[in-house]
Formats: sequence, structure tokens, C-alpha cells
Amino acid sequence: MGEQEQTYKIRKFLEMEKLGLENDEDMMVPFIFYCTTCYRCQDNCPQDVEIVDAVLQIREDAVHKGKMLESHKRVAQMLIEHGHAVPNNSAGKEKRKKLGLNEMPPTVQGSDKGLKEVRTLLELTGFNKLVAGEQCKDTVNEAGVSVKNADYDNSIAEEST
Amino acid sequence: MSELSLFLGCVAPNRYPGIEAATKKAFSKLDIELDELDGASCCPAPGVFKSFDKVTWLTLASRNLALSEELNDDILTICNGCYSTLKDANDELKSNSNLKETVNKNLTETGHNFKGCHDVRHIIEYLSQEVGAEKIREQVSDPLDIKVAVHYGCHLIQPLKESGSELVKDSVTFFDELVEATGASSVDYKDKMLCCGAGGGARTAILDATLKMTDKKLQNMKDADVDCIVNACPFCHLQFDSGQKDVNSKYHKQYEIPVLHYTQLLGLAMGFSPEELGVDMNVTGTDSLIEKIK
Ligand code: SF4
Repeated sequence: MGEQEQTYKIRKFLEMEKLGLENDEDMMVPFIFYCTTCYRCQDNCPQDVEIVDAVLQIREDAVHKGKMLESHKRVAQMLIEHGHAVPNNSAGKEKRKKLGLNEMPPTVQGSDKGLKEVRTLLELTGFNKLVAGEQCKDTVNEAGVSVKNADYDNSIAEEST
Repeated sequence: MSELSLFLGCVAPNRYPGIEAATKKAFSKLDIELDELDGASCCPAPGVFKSFDKVTWLTLASRNLALSEELNDDILTICNGCYSTLKDANDELKSNSNLKETVNKNLTETGHNFKGCHDVRHIIEYLSQEVGAEKIREQVSDPLDIKVAVHYGCHLIQPLKESGSELVKDSVTFFDELVEATGASSVDYKDKMLCCGAGGGARTAILDATLKMTDKKLQNMKDADVDCIVNACPFCHLQFDSGQKDVNSKYHKQYEIPVLHYTQLLGLAMGFSPEELGVDMNVTGTDSLIEKIK
């Protein structure tokens, strides 16, 4: 998404990572999530550099160091609570009924056994602990791009992937 | 006997259930049986969970894959994100026995076991390869005389490229061909392969920045004077449909482009009503399209 945001600094972070330099992660965390993983860069790279994989690795490292966006932490909680990143809601149920579908889809949301299994797995892999820690604040970054605002707060409860 | 189980994911059943209804209706018309995948969870979404913890991502994915294996089915996704997760996880676990062992150690605690004996299919890729545009054309009772902006979405192409599929060699047209089988014409537009903007966890993290990308794409589609957008992914669908309203209010635009998942387009061409397919349940109005195909 480099074209869209002047403030996009993926290349810089990749360079710092490559050189083994410590990043200022509080500053970096919002930026590494500008990547939509569209693979356009990777597809066009004449040297077959696996850029998206590098971005994902940097993100994982940041999360494992306790640097995680509040919004992403909330998505993680949705997964633990419902087994879905985007769980059903009253509007969804209403639509399903109108379409002649069961109010609840035949997924883990309607299955106590299934939800228990998902939670067991999240416990066993340490995911619960990982996403429960002190989190990196979503703040206005140095370029003045607000990564936390009312709209996004509203949207996150509704939809996220 | 069914050989496919339908993987619903999150956004389709919980936000755009018309896509679920349309999938079931279209497949029954094509005489392809689909098993329900009882107890399936989030795939889990590649942009967020894969980059939080890869082993967790693989483990939950392997549970979904195992549920389908237990039915002796290949797994059919209607979403590019689910396709990316399930196909990548399936391929990775099949080829890396250490990872498979790690994942199965936890999975057996829940009574499941990932074997790696089945494939992951995306509905567009499946229809193109296993059914074919010609056979779909035969099932069309109400050809649609409309102009369509086809949106492939990143993760439909990407797993296919990685797997060396013939579908993405040279020019990529397999989705356009399926759209044209409904009678519609797929109109070329600027930067057609651009991302919708939502993926990779970006919509969650930085909604405003993702909308700029969506705006650009919507403008290119509008310039091509299309009657609707047709996508292959409920998350792209959400970004174009719900995101369109956001773009209009944030950037003072007046887009009114109806958004359909391919299964809904196919359903319309098969003679199902817009209401049966949930085409009237979008955030952005679809009346202009419904009027046009009457
Ligand atoms: S995949 Fe590459 S081109 Fe696409 S948003 Fe991420 S960094 Fe940019």
C-alpha cells in the first residue's frame, strides 16, 4: 500500500531487520500492518525476494515481544470467545432467518463441543497467554496518522480479518 | 455421495449469509452435493492470526482440515482468505513432517488427527476446472445482460500461482469466463488486479488507509461504467459494499455500485430471485441492478 501512504516504511523496516538493527517497535508496529499481503511487490520483485513472508515474520516477532495493536488484540479475543474472528450478531441472525437458513450457521458457534476444542487448542499453543499481555498502544504516529479513531473502534467490533 | 464439504468461514455466514444461501442453491442446481462442516471455526484468518503466531494458525487450520478429512471430503471455500489459509496450511503440513507432528500432538488432545490426504478448493477455481464455463452456461435460464467489473482478489491468485496451476499461466481469465457464462460481459478496467484494500489485517488496524485503496479501485470500476462488481470473497465483498459507504462519506464521493459474490450472480442467472440470494441485503443499494435484470 505504499502508493497510498507516504508514511509507509516497510522498506526501511526490512532493511533494519536485515542489518540486525533493533527497531523502535512502538513506532514500527502500526506501519508493519499497512501491508495488505496483496503480493504485488513479491510478484514483481526481479530477485524473487519473499517480501510478504518477511513482513509476516517481523509482525510475528513483534507480537511475541508483546507488541500488538489493541485492535488486533480484540480480534484475538473474538477468536477465543467465539471461535470466529467475526462472530454472528443479531443483524446476521435476522438475515439468515429471512433467507430460510438456521439462525446460527453450522459452525463452531452453534457447537459447545467444537468451541471447547478450539479453546483447548488455543490454550495448548499458548495463544491465550500470547495475546493477553501488555499491549502496544495504538497511537498517533510521528507522521500524524491516527491509527485509532472512533470509526475504526466501531468497525472493529463488527468486522475484522 | 458427496466429495466436498462447504467451509463457511466467518464473514459469509455472519455478515453476508446471502452468499451461503446462493452457494447452496447454485450447487444444488449443478447437482453437486455439499456436506456441512459441523463445528468448523475461523480458518483462521491469514492476515491477522498467521502473523500473531504461526503454530496457532496452523493448528486451528489443521482442525478444520481434519474435520473435512473425517467426512472423506475435499474442502470447498467461498472466500479468498480461507483459501489462502487452508491451502497454504494443507500444503505446508503435507510437506513438513516435523510441523505435522507438532500440530497433531495438540490436535489429538481434541480427538482429531490431520492426515493430509485431501485437497483444498476455492469455489471459482473448482467451478472453472471441474465443471467448466460451458456446463454452467447450460444451467443458465435467465442470461444477464449486464456489464461486470470482475474482482479476483489477491488470495485467489496467490495460492494458485504457488501451486503452479495452469489457471494463472500467462493471462488470467478463468474467473471472467465463469462470469461471462451467465450472459454478463466482463468489462476491462484500470488496475483490475489491485487489492480491495482490506486484507492482511489492514482493515482492522488502519481502516482509513485501506479505504484509500478501495476508493481508487471503485473509481476505476466506475470509469468503466459497470452495472456491478463481482467478487470471489466475502471479505472483498465487505470492503466494497460496506467500505463504499465509508468512502462516500469520508471522501465526499457518490459511488453506487452494487456488489455481488459470484454465487449470487450465478444464482440470478439460474432464475433465483434477488431476495432468495440476499442480493437485497447489502449496505450499498442493489436496486439499479435488480431493475436492470427484471
Ligand atoms: S504485499 Fe507488498 S505491495 Fe502489497 S501491500 Fe504488502 S508490501 Fe505493499
